[in-house]
Amino acid sequence: MIPAAFEYFAPKSLDDALRLVERHGDEAKLLAGGQSLIPLMKLRLSVPRYVVDIGRIRSLRSIREEGGWLVIGALSTHHDVESSEMVRLMAPLLAETASEIGDVQVRNRGTIGGSLSHSDPAADYPAAMLALDAQIVAASSSGTRTIHASEFFLDLMTTQLRPGEILTEVRIPRLPERSGSAYRKLHQPASGFALAGAAVRVSLDEVGKIASAAIGITGVAVRPFRASGAEAMLAGKKPSPKLLADASEKVADGVEPLADIHASAAYRRAAASVYARRALEAALARAEGEKG
Amino acid sequence: MKIEGRHTVPAPQETVWQRLNDPSVLERSLPGVERLEPDGPDRYRASIKYKVGAVSGSFSGSVELSEKNPPHSMRLKTSARGVPGFVTGEGKLELVPKGAETEVVYSGELQLGGLLAAIGSRMVESAAKKSIEDFFKSLASS
Repeated sequence: MIPAAFEYFAPKSLDDALRLVERHGDEAKLLAGGQSLIPLMKLRLSVPRYVVDIGRIRSLRSIREEGGWLVIGALSTHHDVESSEMVRLMAPLLAETASEIGDVQVRNRGTIGGSLSHSDPAADYPAAMLALDAQIVAASSSGTRTIHASEFFLDLMTTQLRPGEILTEVRIPRLPERSGSAYRKLHQPASGFALAGAAVRVSLDEVGKIASAAIGITGVAVRPFRASGAEAMLAGKKPSPKLLADASEKVADGVEPLADIHASAAYRRAAASVYARRALEAALARAEGEKG
Repeated sequence: MKIEGRHTVPAPQETVWQRLNDPSVLERSLPGVERLEPDGPDRYRASIKYKVGAVSGSFSGSVELSEKNPPHSMRLKTSARGVPGFVTGEGKLELVPKGAETEVVYSGELQLGGLLAAIGSRMVESAAKKSIEDFFKSLASS
């Protein structure tokens, strides 16, 4: 349980960090809260030559509003997100999701940027990122670029981020009027990871029909995905228990679920439906009460 | 863990068979394989490097071809060992002519040991699927 030898850097500014990752490219790993990377290094499943610890770059730990967008710095811990008044107000789905991650220690150390960059298939945040149409900002020595959440997650633990890039912040657009949201997950009892997790945002029109629904699913496949078939079934309809049940049935359609010692593919598919329905019910109740 | 599937390679059966039996083609096409050296008849020693997100490392092992029935079918046996554990596997490849193309049908079983078995099975399975796809893409352009 002792990591292989590596060279350690602790830059104090983003520019210094960018220079380091540019110089060392593929051989460098970024360390933020260390809740994924350190266990992997201790098991020697990850043996980076250079570790660039960005934990001292204070400018990356902030939560603010900017032109109607909620902007969360990459080094914000899950606890920061879960306890922020601004997040609860502007993107309550994110606060609820953060509160469901791992355990107290993980939430105190783990960061939103670290979780998204690592992109574990059972991580919680990715589902909410998809449901909220978030934008992910990455910096490199040649500038910054913005990646839409729907294009960010490519494959198993593989994202759009390139060597030499650092995820700096996440931007969440303002929610439509009369919106409600909820995150529901089946916890793996030992690790707290999601065996299936559903992040839902629904918006109602003036007569109480569903104007639009967004459903992000995590834990089920190699990467998180939007349940677009189920979303289409809900759009324009008057909510009813039958409609929610029918749409939930479809959330994992066309997806090849993961199978491992924790859960079979069929189990994950079934769990995705159950938790999507629960998230939909909670989100609708909140939209009807307009408590987000 | 079962691995099975089929891939169409845009080349005649005879050509696909030759490629599958040419170590230099295999060395180029097998994802992560850095070296493939003959180690007796129809036997090769391989060293493999892999990287899936933060997880990376290396394996060394062997590949053995048997029950060859050119250009129709053969059996494959492999075993590899690295820091995160070991993998052994056995399977069958069948080449089915489809006009000017060839359908390669594969099925096999992988056994994982060590850490890989304890925490890595979901990763191994999807990494294996991706590697197989990359292999056939590369084989098509060899």
